[in-house]
Amino acid sequence: MSRLRVFNTSIFLFIVFAIQETMISRINFPINGFSLYIATLIVVLSLEDRTGSLVFGFIGGIIMDLSITADSPFGQWALVMTLMGYLFSINKESIGDYTDAPIALIGFVSFASAFSLLVFVIIGTLLGEQMGGIYRNISLIFANTLWTLLIMPLFLPVIIRVRKALLTSREK
Amino acid sequence: MARGGGNRSRLLLVLLLVSSLFFITLDLRGVNLAGSIRGSVASVFSPVEALFSRVFSPIGNFAGDIRNIGQASEKIEKLNKEIELLKSKEILDEDMVGQLNQLKNILDLAGRGGYKVVAAKVINRGSSATFKETITIDVGSSSGISRNMTVISDGGLVGVVKSVSSESSVVLLMNDPSFKMGVRIAGSQSIGVLSGQGGNSYLLQLLDAAGEIKLGDKLVARGSDGSRPFVPGVPVGTVVEVQSNASSITQNADVIASANLDRIGIVAVVVSAPKFDPRDSLIPKPNPTVTVYVTPTPTPTPSN
Repeated sequence: MSRLRVFNTSIFLFIVFAIQETMISRINFPINGFSLYIATLIVVLSLEDRTGSLVFGFIGGIIMDLSITADSPFGQWALVMTLMGYLFSINKESIGDYTDAPIALIGFVSFASAFSLLVFVIIGTLLGEQMGGIYRNISLIFANTLWTLLIMPLFLPVIIRVRKALLTSREK
Repeated sequence: MARGGGNRSRLLLVLLLVSSLFFITLDLRGVNLAGSIRGSVASVFSPVEALFSRVFSPIGNFAGDIRNIGQASEKIEKLNKEIELLKSKEILDEDMVGQLNQLKNILDLAGRGGYKVVAAKVINRGSSATFKETITIDVGSSSGISRNMTVISDGGLVGVVKSVSSESSVVLLMNDPSFKMGVRIAGSQSIGVLSGQGGNSYLLQLLDAAGEIKLGDKLVARGSDGSRPFVPGVPVGTVVEVQSNASSITQNADVIASANLDRIGIVAVVVSAPKFDPRDSLIPKPNPTVTVYVTPTPTPTPSN
């Protein structure tokens, strides 16, 4: 994995993060919002190789920790996304079955987004943060999953195309 | 994968996990690593947020409008009359008129309470991935805003300023699960603690064991020491259900907020507390009911 691709992908993730923070967050979704950023990061992690999953999990998490509305300790999302990257890296062969079919990939991304949010809540609780009631958190995660399922078909082709463009000619 | 590659991956994993835990430990031990970086991100994002706020204002509230459709149907007739009035006055920007009305009501509330305020526009809502109920407003330290200032809307309390950059501030909404504040029941003067629940209902826990909560009781902010983070007298909410639990030492109740947090576009940050506690004077007075007594006059009976 070249340094140029790490740089380019990080810039791409930061741009998606900026879109999430300035535009998507403006929309007052019922129950909870939709995180385009988490979904994009999951897509990137699922398409990367083992090392890429770990590296971009960590970088993607650090970018999420920059959120101005975040009240969690800096590094919590980095920890969650590194763990997610690890899960992706050890299950690379199984995940390959999903990435080949767009509909399966959308379902997989929705499930993985929900799982990352769940891990975030669990780690937050372990760190002694006030995360709210179980019912609220479940409904927030469920709503995020639902919105990801509904909205991701619009963004998925764009994300995959951009990600392909970020690969160096040798990696292609 | 080759054995060497596997070892490298494992080493990388350990390195990244340790780095994450290192950042978390620093943050939890009070080293404000993220504060300045998040502040810089806020300074960069706030002009973009303000721009998108202007463009997407009607779109942003579409979901809230769907949720309030039941209530809206009752107001259709009234709104139609208002629209006609606005059209007759050739005011095209209805969104702007709504915001002006909100601002007028906020300034009215602030004036009655003696609060010195800075008006602000909501330019963003909290990110869905943070599990926090927040909004971002378009005023910051350059307008005299600092942390732990009370934020009000035309209905009453909205939240508290959590972080400030030069041109924007993040407000922790009162429905966040971590939000707790001292309140006073208007009239009986019993005090309690109000906690956010993440949704539209709040939990009131009375501190006074002999106190009593009644349905419809109005709550006002008790005020904090030095009026930070809460100035006294701001309307907070209304009791909608009293929980009866024999084993509990004090009474609990469910409360709805005075301010509609789903529909806030304009807010005001209280930068200076009033000289005197307004007590219960900011509680909206109920509309007086007119009672008409009719005494029937006896019908004259035709004489034979």
